[in-house]
Amino acid sequence: MTSLPIVGFVALSAGLLAIGLFGVLTRRNLILILISVEIAMNAAILNFVYFAGFLGGAPALRGQSIAVVLVGFAATEVAVGLAIVLALHRVRGTINVAETSELRE
Amino acid sequence: MGALNGLFGYAFLVPLLMVASFAIVGLAGGRLKRLEWGGWVAVAFSGAAMVVGVLISVGEMLSPSSYTNVQYTWLHLPPAPGTFPNGFELVVGTLVDPISALLLLVVTVVGFLVMLYSIGYMHHDRGLPRYYAELSLFLAAMTGLVLANNLLEFFVFWELVGVCSYFLIGFYYEKPSAASAAKEAFLVTRVGDVMFLLGIFLYFSTYAQAGPAGGWAANGFVFVHGAQPFVPVGTGNGTTLTIAGILILGGAAGKSAQFPLHVWLPDAMEGPTTVSALIHAATMVAAGVYLLAVTSLFLGFTATDSLVIVAIGGFTAFFAATMAVVHPDIKRVIAYSTISQLGYMVLAIGAGFAMVGLYHLFTHAFFKALLFLAAGSVIHAVGTQNLFQMGGLKKRMRLTAAAFAIGGLALAGIPPFAGFWSKDDILAAVFSQLGSHPAYWPFFLLAFAGVFLTAYYIFRAWFLAFSGPTTRDPTLPEAHEGPWVMQVPLVVLSGFAVVAGLFVFLPGFPGLLLNGAGVAGIPPHYGTTELLLSGASVGLAAAGIGLAWFLWGNGRVFVLPESSPAQPVCRLLLARYHFKEAYDWVGLRAVYTVARAADFVDQYVIDGTVHGFERAFAAISDRLRRIQSGIVSDYAAYVVAGLLLVFVLLLLVAPWIVARLGGS
Repeated sequence: MTSLPIVGFVALSAGLLAIGLFGVLTRRNLILILISVEIAMNAAILNFVYFAGFLGGAPALRGQSIAVVLVGFAATEVAVGLAIVLALHRVRGTINVAETSELRE
Repeated sequence: MGALNGLFGYAFLVPLLMVASFAIVGLAGGRLKRLEWGGWVAVAFSGAAMVVGVLISVGEMLSPSSYTNVQYTWLHLPPAPGTFPNGFELVVGTLVDPISALLLLVVTVVGFLVMLYSIGYMHHDRGLPRYYAELSLFLAAMTGLVLANNLLEFFVFWELVGVCSYFLIGFYYEKPSAASAAKEAFLVTRVGDVMFLLGIFLYFSTYAQAGPAGGWAANGFVFVHGAQPFVPVGTGNGTTLTIAGILILGGAAGKSAQFPLHVWLPDAMEGPTTVSALIHAATMVAAGVYLLAVTSLFLGFTATDSLVIVAIGGFTAFFAATMAVVHPDIKRVIAYSTISQLGYMVLAIGAGFAMVGLYHLFTHAFFKALLFLAAGSVIHAVGTQNLFQMGGLKKRMRLTAAAFAIGGLALAGIPPFAGFWSKDDILAAVFSQLGSHPAYWPFFLLAFAGVFLTAYYIFRAWFLAFSGPTTRDPTLPEAHEGPWVMQVPLVVLSGFAVVAGLFVFLPGFPGLLLNGAGVAGIPPHYGTTELLLSGASVGLAAAGIGLAWFLWGNGRVFVLPESSPAQPVCRLLLARYHFKEAYDWVGLRAVYTVARAADFVDQYVIDGTVHGFERAFAAISDRLRRIQSGIVSDYAAYVVAGLLLVFVLLLLVAPWIVARLGGS
């Protein structure tokens, strides 16, 4: 693993983040936005895993454990997010974010 | 020591009684079953005030030099090194001395008589409680002014009588001419008031440290009658003192309607005739003369000031008399006469004979109030002020005709009536100064010529109103004498108009006028020169009366031919020398232009700046408002944009700045 070039991994996570951000900014469907957030988050988790392997030793354990915790966070986040989506759909009959602009008031 | 001197400490009762009358009539007068009762309350209070005033005056006559102060310090400043090393205090108090006792006598007696006369004269008017309340307040302020023991207290009451005059001129406020006359009177006297206040400031800055016991300021500007004036009369010549004296003269000219601030007094005749008699003949307009007299005795005028005062007085005496010659309105003729007579008083004071001026003030108050009340009796009877509609009234109004004649003889200066003694004394006094002050000559001659005009115009009015077979305007109501409340004041004032001038020969009375150092001319001295002068002035007066009889007597009406060369002069006099137009023109052109410029600056510069900021912020916030779309994706985009900005700043801008600063 150590032979892999650092630039490739960083580029990979940067690409994932870009894809996620692009999805968040352009999609109007709330579920797709949630998925995009997950993708962007995976870029962060990947960074933890990669830099843990790159550094090795005690810091490696710390990085990998944080990655595991983050996966758990992502799962809870999705659960809460989907609950919001369901609730929104029940109240408004739509999950299109362009049609819900009450924040403006 | 007179037994009445113990009363001096209670002089404050006089204004206080009138304040009580003001409060009672003003607050409760409207609830009385009959509104005249409020008038009787005011009559009772002014009667009580008159008793106190007369007793104080008698006390002063018996032992002239004594005086009492009741002082209350309402402002005390601790000593401040440099400016006021002795501290500074303002006091309120009453000063009873011969001069104030003289004025107190005039104010309370005439005030009471006018109040009594009002019961009959104002009988038909609405707003009676207001009238009696305002008249009471005026008497309170006027007696307060007379009794004030320092210049600032004097100024406070001075303003109070001014505002009362404003209220009472505008008593018939539904009439536009009355409302505008009230405004005019207030504004014109205000010009004088501002000058007066500036004069006080100048004297203050000059004399704050001068005088006994730490300076005048440390003693609260208290008048010190009887002491030597700060500037010996007619000698000092400091520029500051000259300006201060001129400013004081300006204040006096505003109040006493002297040229060039005379325009308001004839228009003030829009008020009830009783108000004209009390305020605009006997008391308030005399306050300016009183101020000049007090200033000349206490502070003293410089030689330049004296000349200016003589000039203003002498010129006004003649100038106002010329306008009275042609006027068709009975009240305005008397008003011009008042201006003219006040001019004589100012002339005497300017020539250094303050007491002689006050002597004329004393006699004038009675016979001029008498003339006004007699005119009021006529107006009450026939309902017009136009002399050319009257005529033949003496058959139906014998008392009024006699009273007006007595007032006219006193005004014209026919012995032994009151005006003769005091006016003659003025002429003799000024004449005695001509040797040392040749510059007084023209003004003496103007005043002397004024004697002829005075006699002419007042008897022209008498002949037009009272003589002849019948009333000229048959539509006028049948004339009749007023009720007893109007007749009694006429009789009493007629008595005063006959004998007031002779008071000065009584033992005791000259004490009221013999106050202070360097007083000459009281009582009048009759040597050969003075007798010749008196003879000449009485001859002039008699000639004036004769001319009036020749032109207007027995129902004759003298019409100036259209082709007469005097016609333009007559028109100029009727137009009052165009002074009112000139002031209006100045007001419209100069003041209005300044006001428009100020308005432009206000609207476009000041308001423009404010509105500009307002519009700029409104526009910016209108733009900013649009980013609040409520759509979450937009907010996410702002977050990303912000994040990118932070990266750019951190990674690109910050290193560049560090490199530029050459930091470590």
